[in-house]
Amino acid sequence: MRKIFTISLILLLTGCQKEKITVSGHASEAFYVENAGASMRVLVQGNTDSKTFILIIHGGPGAGAFFYDTDDITNNIGDKYALVYWDQRNAGASQGTSNGRNLHLSQMVDDLKKVIEVIKYRYGQDISLFLLGHSFGGMIASDFITTADYQYMIRGLIDVDGSHNYPLNDTLTRQKLLSIGQYEISKNRHASDWRPIVEYCLSHKGNFSFEESQQIETYGAEAENYIDSVKHVNMVSKILRYAISDKYPLTAMLINLLYSEDSDFNKELAVTQFSTSLTKVTIPVLVLWGEYDFICPTTLGKDFYNRISSVNKKMAISPVSGHNMIIQDKEFFIEQINSFVDVYR
Amino acid sequence: MVKTAISILTFLCCTLCRGQTDSVPLQKRQSYNFKLSYNSSIIYPGMSIGTEFFLQNKDIQVQRKSGKTKTFTRSRLISGNVNWYHHPEFHDNLYFTAEYVMRQTNSLGLIKEFIFGPGFSRTFLGGTTYKVNNSGEVSIVRNAGYNYALITIGGGIGVDLSVKYDLPLIAIANLNMISMFPFNSTIYFRPVLELGIHTNPFMWRR
Repeated sequence: MRKIFTISLILLLTGCQKEKITVSGHASEAFYVENAGASMRVLVQGNTDSKTFILIIHGGPGAGAFFYDTDDITNNIGDKYALVYWDQRNAGASQGTSNGRNLHLSQMVDDLKKVIEVIKYRYGQDISLFLLGHSFGGMIASDFITTADYQYMIRGLIDVDGSHNYPLNDTLTRQKLLSIGQYEISKNRHASDWRPIVEYCLSHKGNFSFEESQQIETYGAEAENYIDSVKHVNMVSKILRYAISDKYPLTAMLINLLYSEDSDFNKELAVTQFSTSLTKVTIPVLVLWGEYDFICPTTLGKDFYNRISSVNKKMAISPVSGHNMIIQDKEFFIEQINSFVDVYR
Repeated sequence: MVKTAISILTFLCCTLCRGQTDSVPLQKRQSYNFKLSYNSSIIYPGMSIGTEFFLQNKDIQVQRKSGKTKTFTRSRLISGNVNWYHHPEFHDNLYFTAEYVMRQTNSLGLIKEFIFGPGFSRTFLGGTTYKVNNSGEVSIVRNAGYNYALITIGGGIGVDLSVKYDLPLIAIANLNMISMFPFNSTIYFRPVLELGIHTNPFMWRR
């Protein structure tokens, strides 16, 4: 019994963490990057042989990268390039102990820098790397590309419904909820659902408190459900579809999300903006937006697009998408990503 | 951690000492069992081995309103276990538990039990783990993972084959919830399904 236990322990200690680096058309490998009390999971999938990597910076904070890994993305982008799914600290499958005190935007930017360094260590310094920031991931990306000379670590940035200025974001969300809400009520479409949203926006005109800011965001998430042309996102069916095949650590994902959503970190974010420093950005940028995104309205994307100094920049708007273009208009998303990466890799 | 260890030892010491006093009904059938279980975290495989010690075995008769008599055995046990499960790309979890078990066995040998107890967990991350220093040098972290305090709570049903068939064997299914902390400054919960057998190999010789 003692021998069996010893052998099992040795196998356990040596077997789980062998370095595996696959250069092929269909790679799939997970590794971790340890930094400041957090071990963050990184999953690399797709064509690593292309030496072109798209690193996805998920939303949230705390949402995790698992939800971005779909068959459509794997089959239509992953066949050409490698996709990198990074779980930020206190999100997805990332692990640690008492690390909540390190949950800050500047720490996440440092985490991202180290994740990029590890990817280059594994797959070669000559790889082409693109960042794709979605929602809150846009905030990390904005901070990253405006910090020191970090933007030159990557070939280009794809900003998908991302935020770079939370105070401006709140103002623009309120404006959009109000204008579209009033229009929809006048057309008698989901009028009873729109009325409390419009009333809230009319009674809260600006200078929002943290709670008001959160309420506006909640209404923003709700509002796209009242636009009939926008495809509704059913997260439950997505979890049921992928939880086993993608080995979701469901309870970790849930408690990480709850912790991050409730963290004081959000109060720090509520007053964060990078509008003034975006002029530093000169790398190629693709800005993708959903016409019916109320959480990060199209005008926020236009602000980002207008402020960057990049010569090679493009903004494209999906007419049928809300905040989750990756699911709501996947053909448009795939086509835009592939053509942008193909040009600048 | 030291406080937890002292608390566990004190708890063990107190309960074992109580087991030596005359105030406990002396109808012991056996003093200990070995346990071997498939310790699945629902779909991910694992294993658990341990020993359980009987602190108390008490036969109880209850008179029902209908006049019939219900007979069952109430047992109190303490068990020490080494457990492991493997969640690919997430972690391997090797954890040790000391559990207090409240078990009731009816006249047919059917068992229901409730367990709870403290433990200690050591996880091993499910992939190569890298660290980057401030100069940008990358190194691999060996045996990367974390230590957590752990609490397990659960219950289950089973059958004691010694009651009807004179076999010193218990088959049991438990659904436990382990909670590990501090996990990312909060508490990590994980349901664990334990399907196992309990036996005392020395009693098979009789």
